[in-house]
Amino acid sequence: MPIYLDHNATTPLDPRVLNAMLPYLSGPYGNASSVHRYGRAARDAIEAARVQVAALVGAEASEVSFTSGATESNNLAIKGLTEGRAPTRLLYGATEHPAILEAAESRRAHGWGVETIAIDAAGLVDWPAFQTQSSRGPVRVAALMLANNETGVIQDCARAARMVHAAGALFHVDAVQAAGKLPFSFAETGADLMCLSAHKLYGPKGVGALLVKSHVELTTQLHGGGQERGLRGGTENLAAIVGFGAACELAAAEVGQRIARWTELTTRLETGLRALSGITIFGDGSPRLSNTAQFGVAGWEGEALLMALDRKGIAVSSGSACASGTGEPSHVLLGMGWDRDTAFSAIRVSLGVATTDAEIDRFLAVLGDLRLQVAA
Amino acid sequence: MIYLDYAATTPLDERVFEAMLPYLKPDGLHGNPASTHGPGFKARAAVEAARRQVASLIGADASEIIWTSGATESNNLAIKGALEFRGLPKAGKPAHIVTSKTEHKCVLDTCRHLETLGARVTYLKPDADGRVSPEAVMAAITPDTALVSLMWVNNEIGAVNDIERLAPSLRERGVMLHVDAAQAAGKLAIDLAAVPIDLLSLSAHKLYGPKGVGALFVRRKPRARLSPQMHGGGHEQGMRSGTLAPHQVVGMGAACALAAERFEADIAHWSGLRDALWTRLREVPGVLRNGPAEGTRAAPHLLNLSFPGVEGEALRASLGGIAVSSGSACSSATAEPSYVLRALGRDDETANASLRFSFGRKTTLAEIETVARTVIEQVAWLRELSPLPRTW
Amino acid sequence: MSELDDSNPFGYAPEIWRLFQRAPNAGSFADDVQGVVSAEAGTPAARSVLRLALRFDGDRVVDARFRAYGCPASIAVGAYIAGWAQGRNPQELSLLKAADLRAALEIPEDRAHCALLGEDALRAVLTRYKEQQA
Repeated sequence: MPIYLDHNATTPLDPRVLNAMLPYLSGPYGNASSVHRYGRAARDAIEAARVQVAALVGAEASEVSFTSGATESNNLAIKGLTEGRAPTRLLYGATEHPAILEAAESRRAHGWGVETIAIDAAGLVDWPAFQTQSSRGPVRVAALMLANNETGVIQDCARAARMVHAAGALFHVDAVQAAGKLPFSFAETGADLMCLSAHKLYGPKGVGALLVKSHVELTTQLHGGGQERGLRGGTENLAAIVGFGAACELAAAEVGQRIARWTELTTRLETGLRALSGITIFGDGSPRLSNTAQFGVAGWEGEALLMALDRKGIAVSSGSACASGTGEPSHVLLGMGWDRDTAFSAIRVSLGVATTDAEIDRFLAVLGDLRLQVAA
Repeated sequence: MIYLDYAATTPLDERVFEAMLPYLKPDGLHGNPASTHGPGFKARAAVEAARRQVASLIGADASEIIWTSGATESNNLAIKGALEFRGLPKAGKPAHIVTSKTEHKCVLDTCRHLETLGARVTYLKPDADGRVSPEAVMAAITPDTALVSLMWVNNEIGAVNDIERLAPSLRERGVMLHVDAAQAAGKLAIDLAAVPIDLLSLSAHKLYGPKGVGALFVRRKPRARLSPQMHGGGHEQGMRSGTLAPHQVVGMGAACALAAERFEADIAHWSGLRDALWTRLREVPGVLRNGPAEGTRAAPHLLNLSFPGVEGEALRASLGGIAVSSGSACSSATAEPSYVLRALGRDDETANASLRFSFGRKTTLAEIETVARTVIEQVAWLRELSPLPRTW
Repeated sequence: MSELDDSNPFGYAPEIWRLFQRAPNAGSFADDVQGVVSAEAGTPAARSVLRLALRFDGDRVVDARFRAYGCPASIAVGAYIAGWAQGRNPQELSLLKAADLRAALEIPEDRAHCALLGEDALRAVLTRYKEQQA
């Protein structure tokens, strides 16, 4: 049985989520926009899911818009806030997900000043620099992730929000990795917009959400049909939305026990890692997600190590799945100020709800063996 | 309950569902197709196999298929992406789009959006059958025309545009052609190896595949170039980023393979049902058929009729256990009469008193007979109830 | 899929649905019937027309008929008024307002015009009745 330690890339579907989805996959429920009874049943199911998603992060159901995933949500946030406006500045964290990074960079062609927010070696916002940067002139939106997908480092969003709002800007928070792994509320983060993804929390791939406070004006990016209150056209992905709702409800109920379990496992993992020489744990000492550990292994390239582990039946990542195979070192680690060699040596272990002690022990044993081979 | 709204959405075919299920189960096939490890490779292999299945239905190469979240996104990406790549619209650099008044709402909304950015859009009026002729399109072309976007089959009335004749003319003029084929795939033969279409949108849930997935065909030779509309990660040759959902794309692949396999049987079945229903309902005094009646000009899977003298909402309600549509599902929540029927020249009352019947693989002749009987009875009853003078 | 009941698929209020389906008192009176006062409200362009015919014996309604072109709610309004009017005198008839119709049939806000249609038709009948008495 292969050992899957790449849950930040994607999680398997929780069997209970699949059960919730099945009637909407194989049943005769119609297009949610149709008026007849099947359409009505579909619409009711979507609204129930909206309530479940909102509840996970203490938001209002009316603040939740469904999308095809976090990439679309992040694009909608960044482009929807900037399109058709006189360009000012747009700020995003140096360790953001490529969806934010590339959506933001695409705005340069439209005249926007696009700047990164400096992140320190611990993975946290360089506060004095951010203070200076945010007060230097008008800013439309600043974007930060609540928890980093690679290092798992948790950002103090409430603190960032105060600075962002003081600058008269809107605050977008990518909470894709935090949701289901960390209790938090939309309101407490101070975010005006927030994106979520289902497949990072045991829901299906192909669905996500953008949370938008009612005072935020956003221009639609997917034109046609007027679904999602005109914000996002297209026939609703009914089964996936139902699955997303079910996954959020389970996450809300179980996050405490998940964290407790992951904390034990991560302690076991990191104790084992620290016993090896040449290991650098990134974001060590910073608040981090309890399921995530990213570390460098001296003398190895992360990609080579990943492949060697894969041959032994262990799936880990060298960073974000989106950047896998590009031959580029992790932009997250570079953004934290690590050198290219160290960044190249990184692998990421991310635990899931079904990860066992034995899997961690097996991973440590295999890693130890591989390092000996290099040493030999 | 009789469901005759398959043009709005189809249920998942059992075989499509079976193909999807392994990718929804926790054991083994849940990987992210972008991951470079075993579970990721397996997921990617499934995605690529599905891509070949979609390509094969339309005579394309697998490398020409871009996955999207559905036909709405495909249409948005095609139209906005094509213009944006050419740096249009831009001040002092006019951009012209030719489309029709009876396109799907998402094409019209996208065009209207581009108008706000400075593009000029010609919305062609269809003929009385709802078709836009190649001649009408060619006559609207100007030196500034950057794109023609025309649907192959109209979703409300089933009018089939003569894309085969239009495409070579546009190619000759060097004008890019986008075709919304959401209602055409599986309903008529599409061979992109023979027909020089540049961009073509597909939807899975109109042909027994899952909701939430679609595709855009982007021709490689000559290369149709697009600017991405969704950034981040560089998936899908950089044209459309975002984690792919293997269960969804596998479902779309399986649905396309099934549609190819069943193609002739499906068309014979649907057109048989359509003709049987029309044979019965043409007995209703004053009934009007919306869209072409003739063979290749009419899609096999739907029939749109107006019943003058009855009010549309009451008519639909009176059918009780029969699910039909009063136009495209995307706009049927609003009480507005169909803009497609209005473009055909129907007045508001006639447009409002319309029903779209669309047929599925499991629709039976017995169901058609029940529907015909019910419609005939209810139209007669509502006309009897009406105080209005007889005009039909 | 048991929640997907075949009856009332569009979710009309129960009383609207019942009256729409049965349409009690639908029709009109033969030309030779005495004491009939009828009038119409609404327009085809607004997609609702209601014709109300009340047969009076003295100052009491002894029978009533309606015809309607419009949505199920406007048909239900016609049926409701035709049933309700029986046995009432003009004074009592004049008390029925749109708000009463909305309450009795649970007509939602966006269909308020159907209730107004009923009030208008009844008022038109009463106006004609008074003209005939005068």
